[in-house]
Amino acid sequence: MPYKKLATASIKSTTGIIMQTYKIFENSSHKWYVIGRDPDKPESIIDTNQYLVVTKNNSLLMDPGGIELFAGMLATIIKLIPVEQISHIFASHQDPDIISSLGLWDQALPDATLHSPWIWEGFIRHFGMENIQYDPIPDKGSDLKLDHVNLQFFPAHYLHSSGNFNVYDPEAKILMSGDIGAAIEAVDSPMFVDNFDAHIPKMKMFHQRWMPSNEAKNDWVNRARALDIEMMCPQHGRIFKGDDVKRFLDWFEALPVGILQK
Amino acid sequence: MSDNNYNFFVIAAVIAAELNRATKIARQLSLTASNARAVALRAGERASGFRPLTDYIDRLASVTVSSSREINKLATDLSKAAANKFRTDNAISRFDQVYKKASDYQYISSLSFGYERTKKLQTKLVAKYKMQLGQLSLELDRLGDELRTAGILATLSRVEASQAGTTYQGALNNVADNVESAANLIKCHIKNSQQLVLSLRQG
Repeated sequence: MPYKKLATASIKSTTGIIMQTYKIFENSSHKWYVIGRDPDKPESIIDTNQYLVVTKNNSLLMDPGGIELFAGMLATIIKLIPVEQISHIFASHQDPDIISSLGLWDQALPDATLHSPWIWEGFIRHFGMENIQYDPIPDKGSDLKLDHVNLQFFPAHYLHSSGNFNVYDPEAKILMSGDIGAAIEAVDSPMFVDNFDAHIPKMKMFHQRWMPSNEAKNDWVNRARALDIEMMCPQHGRIFKGDDVKRFLDWFEALPVGILQK
Repeated sequence: MSDNNYNFFVIAAVIAAELNRATKIARQLSLTASNARAVALRAGERASGFRPLTDYIDRLASVTVSSSREINKLATDLSKAAANKFRTDNAISRFDQVYKKASDYQYISSLSFGYERTKKLQTKLVAKYKMQLGQLSLELDRLGDELRTAGILATLSRVEASQAGTTYQGALNNVADNVESAANLIKCHIKNSQQLVLSLRQG
């Protein structure tokens, strides 16, 4: 698998260290990057992974993060592509750690389109959106073509938000899974799961508390099993690859959710 | 506007609230004018000098209501302009952070267009804010001047009340008191607003 930590990662700059960047996929038509582990992040803010798909002339920025992350994200992205190449933004759901930076991206990318669940349009616009266009994703999902690359907005409702999507790339075999597979751990943790069993305690409470519906969860697991997934990329924690994807689906299927642990 | 203009939209909103209160009091003044007219009619000839005064009270009430409403809107618009500028300032300060962090990055020049556009927007918002602030100040001064007549009206009302005989004297004096106290309360809100406008101008 051609993922590698880029030379851009951990470069010292005038005011600090930029966010870590890994290229997790590359072929002739497009590249996938994960950007995260923000060293300038205030301690009380949850760490997030942002994903970027870059094609010849376009780019999709997924779950761009909160206001606090904006400057770090923008600085990291312009190391990779010109800012105007970000033609599309995706917000898996409405949470502030996903998209509260929207008002700032709205100043930076006035011609971009935001793809997000239709039910959240009236809410997400509260973050400030005067220039960017909102493309509401219907409940059943939809497709997005970036140059010659087809991406799918894959329904993940109630996991955890009542209107929620993942992004699936059938060519790269990557599923950007939003909060599914998320783990709470230190900001300097590795970007990939290296020991699934050791990773479980970091995920268990998150999934049981935030995911409200066993029915929705099992429906998603069944649909996700039908996809060919090489890498599953959550918005918090580490990326699952290879057999760990199947291990995660089995573990998640067996996990009762909607539980308030005492 | 200084860098701490996060206070500015709050202050402008406080001015809007002050004027909202002034509008409510002005509506009471309008009721006072109706009441005065009814009393003057009942008093007949003995209150003939009072009747023209009721028209003045009515006019004062109507001017105060419409002017307070207008100033309230100006202050609300001012608050919005200050909030928009705050958001734009925020974006610019984040862009500046990126310029510091990533000055040698390959695509740093791709930020210039967005940065310049945001700067232009900021300049536009500052001009709009200053214009609205000037207009607000002018309208507040105008209303303050208008309310000076309230004191004269109250005095004249008392003089006319003394001519109306014992039956209506109390009611007409009451009208005079109401005009005076409503005008004083409104003046107080205007004065507070003027002080707040001054603090915005000095900011």
